[in-house]
Amino acid sequence: MSNMNERSSRFAIKASVRGLAAVALLPLLLDGTVIAAAPPAPAAAAPEVASSDDKDWAPPGGRIGYVLWDEVSWGLRETPDKQECPHGFNIGPREQFSEEFPKDGKKRTLAETQLKREAAIWDPDTTPDEFPFYEATGKYAIGVNLDGKDTPEDFESDDGRKGIDNQLFRVVGCIRNYRKEGELGIITTKWRAQKPFNRVTFELSGVDSLKNDPDVTVSYYRTLDTLLAGPTGNYLPGGSQRIDERWGKRFIISAKGHIVDGVLETEPFKEIQVPEDGMGDPAINIFRSAQLRLKLTPKSAEGVLAGFIDVEQWYYAMNTSWATHHAAYGQASAASIYKALRRLADGYPDPETGQNTAISGAMDMRLTQVYVIHQEEDSAAAAQ
Amino acid sequence: MSGSLFTRLLALGLSVAPLLAHADGKSPWPQTPSKDKERFEPVPMPPGFQIVVTEQEGPVFADARGHTLYTWPVRQLRNGPVGERKGAPSCDGTKYTENAGLMSPYPGGFELPEVATRPSCIDIWPVVTAAADAEPVGKFTVVKRADGLSQWAYDGYALYTSVLDDQPGEVNGAHSLAAGEVGVRKPAEAPSMVPPQFKVDTNLVGRILLTEDKYAVYASSQDTAGQSNCKGACLDQWAPIEAPAYAKARGEFGILERSPGIRQWTFRKQPLYTHIGEPMMKMYGSDVPGWYNVYEQFTPKPPADFTVQNSPSGLVLADRAGKTVYMYNCADDALDQLACDNPDSPQIYRFTVCGGGDPKRCLERFPYVAVSQGVTSDNLLWTAMWIDPMSGKRAQPHAPGALYVWAYRKRPVYTHYRDQGPGDERADQWGEFYGYRNGYKAFWLRSDFGRGG
Repeated sequence: MSNMNERSSRFAIKASVRGLAAVALLPLLLDGTVIAAAPPAPAAAAPEVASSDDKDWAPPGGRIGYVLWDEVSWGLRETPDKQECPHGFNIGPREQFSEEFPKDGKKRTLAETQLKREAAIWDPDTTPDEFPFYEATGKYAIGVNLDGKDTPEDFESDDGRKGIDNQLFRVVGCIRNYRKEGELGIITTKWRAQKPFNRVTFELSGVDSLKNDPDVTVSYYRTLDTLLAGPTGNYLPGGSQRIDERWGKRFIISAKGHIVDGVLETEPFKEIQVPEDGMGDPAINIFRSAQLRLKLTPKSAEGVLAGFIDVEQWYYAMNTSWATHHAAYGQASAASIYKALRRLADGYPDPETGQNTAISGAMDMRLTQVYVIHQEEDSAAAAQ
Repeated sequence: MSGSLFTRLLALGLSVAPLLAHADGKSPWPQTPSKDKERFEPVPMPPGFQIVVTEQEGPVFADARGHTLYTWPVRQLRNGPVGERKGAPSCDGTKYTENAGLMSPYPGGFELPEVATRPSCIDIWPVVTAAADAEPVGKFTVVKRADGLSQWAYDGYALYTSVLDDQPGEVNGAHSLAAGEVGVRKPAEAPSMVPPQFKVDTNLVGRILLTEDKYAVYASSQDTAGQSNCKGACLDQWAPIEAPAYAKARGEFGILERSPGIRQWTFRKQPLYTHIGEPMMKMYGSDVPGWYNVYEQFTPKPPADFTVQNSPSGLVLADRAGKTVYMYNCADDALDQLACDNPDSPQIYRFTVCGGGDPKRCLERFPYVAVSQGVTSDNLLWTAMWIDPMSGKRAQPHAPGALYVWAYRKRPVYTHYRDQGPGDERADQWGEFYGYRNGYKAFWLRSDFGRGG
């Protein structure tokens, strides 16, 4: 009997061959979540990928897909000397517990110690934190100007764009877990690449030039296939991704965009849902008014997915769906993070309470080129 | 057509019909689930022991009353092991008063909840004692306990019953299927009557047939009893499970000859296949019209107050409104790892993660699933019970403030306030250690992505 890898490879090869000879129609056929649809394209041949990133190039059939494989960070701009954290890093659950309940010989109950801390995590509030919380500070940050304004709390990008909205950077910038040396920085990339639940792909259509095109359509899908792993921990272009139409319909959405000097910027997607499977327990992050800003090449893309991130769902996906044990590795205190999230939330006020329900932020990410296989073309190829 | 031939064909059709698993398009259960039960190997047992075919775990060893037998195999938790090694029972009469600090990052040495009334391990897990002159039989052996008692063991592990089981066939001592970071007890499973190329696994739909290397096994509605019609292009997607030359038919497993020398396994006369390209432990093939997973037996369908919904992870059980249903899991942090997941155990753990210790907030955030007028259960897995939501414990019928709610294995089930529409799963791992140690897990019927299925 074949093993899993052999089986997957055989299937992927078959799907890839079918997909190369077909077109994409899915956005036209789906319900109202799709706000822009791509026209049918002529059959695409295998691309003659430009040898240099500097050359202009149009993908075959005007289509090119990019699958996310590296969730680099939650929009953290780290400096070598940690300028963004002048007060140092925050302490985590283990240290907070020790401070609150020192080994002083006093008899305590589980209810007034561990369960008290667990209550603060799973039923958090916005009362002042019992522990100091250090926000990231500075002039610069990663992200996008989401609201078109330049206000004092906004940042500037390294390439001089003003009004960068990224309040999430202030929340997580000085927590080890979210930095390069933290657990998240190490294992979320692994999870992003390995876990099928986390597989998402952007497909650009109507692309006449990957350098400059004023009008492209960007569609977003949850897709199903494994990545082509390279020998050095990277992921290779040229793979194929089938769209998940069984369980993934809620993820599908499109928006218009333009490419200038090889950089794609989109109009806001109404909402992008990013699956976030950590320890085998799927959660979903929600980016409202989401915008992409990606530097494109025929083989890869890198940049940010920015938006107003749903606070409660981000807290759940990145904090409370974890074990405190794992959060403690990276000194991430969920209860303190929640208070900071709510304090710094800057979007989507609740109509009843007026409290902001979302926080501006960005996912810094890397993607590799893939062929997106739409069900209709797959079926047509199979029928032939 | 002669009457006898028609009768035989009708009988044949009826015999394979219960295997059809997608009759209603969404539910993983057939519209009329088969009453067929999993068969088990005859094994030697000491006098008074028996094998009971339970609704979810299939065949398990039981005592003379029919009560399920359990073992407690050692398991490594974050800060140390719990459970028992072969021949060395540790569940005893000690009444622990402090937590053990087995769960990082929290230390031990704190007074446990309800400590004055906290039972001992053997209060909850009565020892299956052996007579002083008892002799080993097959895999059943006798171990000597530190307290001087002789105790039956199976495969080396000491045997217990559970005070949560009242009737033959109940397995209420086991709960979460994926125990995660908890030292749970396991029912002592009797060996299934399956050829060595196969194994049977438990999910919340039933006892699903897998290959020995954990690939899902399928059958086709295009096949007839004892005959495969999967040929030509069909074989590009479906691989007949071949029986080696030395294999013999046994129990409900038979062998057909596809072509000279090429033999294929059948189960209840249906030819068996794997789905080419499908990873281990997945059920993708059941999405192909006419193909379905093979179950040795189905769990009973949930009562009519429940529905099945599509979610981004798979099929999940939901209430009438389509809201995802959650189970609560809990084991305390003492060395004996007593369960705190049922209404007879301390409720402070659950109240902590569902409402910061406030039962009212819990009721808002994780409401119980109410029993509708006239809806009943016909099985042991699903029961209705009266609960006092302010204490979380059982209540007298119709007591003031009491709720009449659904329980799975005598644990109430819940929905979550943040789930807004069918398929939302915003509390799937709500609580410590991904919802396994003290928290909630969704009631997964098919999980294509997570580990909940």
